[in-house]
Amino acid sequence: MASSPSSSAVKALQLELKKIHDEPVEGFRVKLINDDDLFVWEVAIFGPPGTLYEGGYFKAHMKFPPDYPYCPPSVRFVSKMWHPNVYDNGDVCISILHPPVDDPQSGELPSERWNPTQTVRTVLLSIISLLNEPNTYSPANVDASVMFRKFKESKGKDKEYENIIRKQVIATKEDSERDGVIVPTTLQEYCVSSKPSSHDNQVDADFYDDDYVDDLDDEEEMYEDDDEDSGNEES
Amino acid sequence: MAEADSGFNYDPTKNYDDQICAQQRDIEKQITDEQSLVSNILSFDVLKTEYQDDQVFQNKIQDIKSRYKHMRKTRGDGNCFFRAFGFAYLEHLLKDDSDFPRFKEVASKSKDELVSLGFPQFTIEDFHDTFMEVIDKVGNKISYEEFFQLYTDQGISDYFVVYLRLIVSGHLQKEEDFFMNFVEGGRTVKEFCNQEVEPMHKESDHIHITALTAALGVTIRVEYMDRGDSDKCNQHDFPDGSKPDIFLLYRPGHYDILYP
Repeated sequence: MASSPSSSAVKALQLELKKIHDEPVEGFRVKLINDDDLFVWEVAIFGPPGTLYEGGYFKAHMKFPPDYPYCPPSVRFVSKMWHPNVYDNGDVCISILHPPVDDPQSGELPSERWNPTQTVRTVLLSIISLLNEPNTYSPANVDASVMFRKFKESKGKDKEYENIIRKQVIATKEDSERDGVIVPTTLQEYCVSSKPSSHDNQVDADFYDDDYVDDLDDEEEMYEDDDEDSGNEES
Repeated sequence: MAEADSGFNYDPTKNYDDQICAQQRDIEKQITDEQSLVSNILSFDVLKTEYQDDQVFQNKIQDIKSRYKHMRKTRGDGNCFFRAFGFAYLEHLLKDDSDFPRFKEVASKSKDELVSLGFPQFTIEDFHDTFMEVIDKVGNKISYEEFFQLYTDQGISDYFVVYLRLIVSGHLQKEEDFFMNFVEGGRTVKEFCNQEVEPMHKESDHIHITALTAALGVTIRVEYMDRGDSDKCNQHDFPDGSKPDIFLLYRPGHYDILYP
């Protein structure tokens, strides 16, 4: 073990990268933008099936601080994202990425903050679940938040929000084709790669067993008459 | 900092996470440059100089001096309690290994307990490996010099601190029914752990010490040197009525190591 302050960061990032490559997991792909720089990753998030984001291939850059894993990485979408918790410039605003200090966003609900046991994987899983369940208490994009609320309160009748998301999903197709990636559109395909892993822990169990699948059910009921809008579906 | 009075306007439409982290790093760097993680053995004269014009503290330093031989300072980076605890206890084991087998077993088992509480196995394993590596070296009777070098290597030392924090978090969550009565601010035990225990640089309180000593079966006496009227320092043993393995000095916001 070397002694420079960033040795922990290099070690942690190498371990994480290797782990994700050895055992690819559900919902995303990662790679280094530049092979010489462990501190900037390109990630591609697959839109979860059964949501407005189904079939989407959203690219983002993940930057790690020199004192990772003591401080969180930052995530910025490169793909266009109209979402209550994504800033205009693509920065993702989510509690798990906030540094563990008392911050001025006091309106935020007490929720999980960064700690050194968090990883790229836990961050990306949080972002994936955020896509479909925006936190409208502390919006980064107020207009998107208002639009999302109208959409939600009208039970999907007010389609302004939905139409924007669907358009953005279609726009990501160019990227997925260029990268030669087929985005999974069924829950089985989406989750299948996580099954063989013997290292599953409670985070996964919670994520899929409770909230997530329940929400998928809700969404399907809610939007079952919207098929004409989803021209992006690959079948 | 200068920014504070130069009319900084908080803009709620901006994301400050990066700046907050950068500022935190600047503060830490300043502290890193000025203070070693753990100092060499020091006489109490350094405290006397620090509190030159303060009669309350001078009296209490005299009291400490009558009961302890010397001290060791730790870096004031918010991790001082954990850093002091780890150093003092491992140093104690180097001198007297009668408790080593018991401690090693508790330390080994702690990983599975944390994983069963829902911490990600992958990262827990990484921290636990380093934690055990240090403990094993102490068990193999490395010299004091080797130990000092090992424990003041920032990368290793920080990993050790992270793992001690996780042990505290795990214990608080396991004994949630009890500790929920001591959590302030209407938070759940889990929220408290997430905000006040697991992150680096978060300062420790009574509740952290209670949990760590209970989880590891190690006993501590803390001498409280504060602005209270008495000429003597108050003492508290964790757990109550135990015979202390190690001794810490508390000054408001900071822990150092004491040697009887």
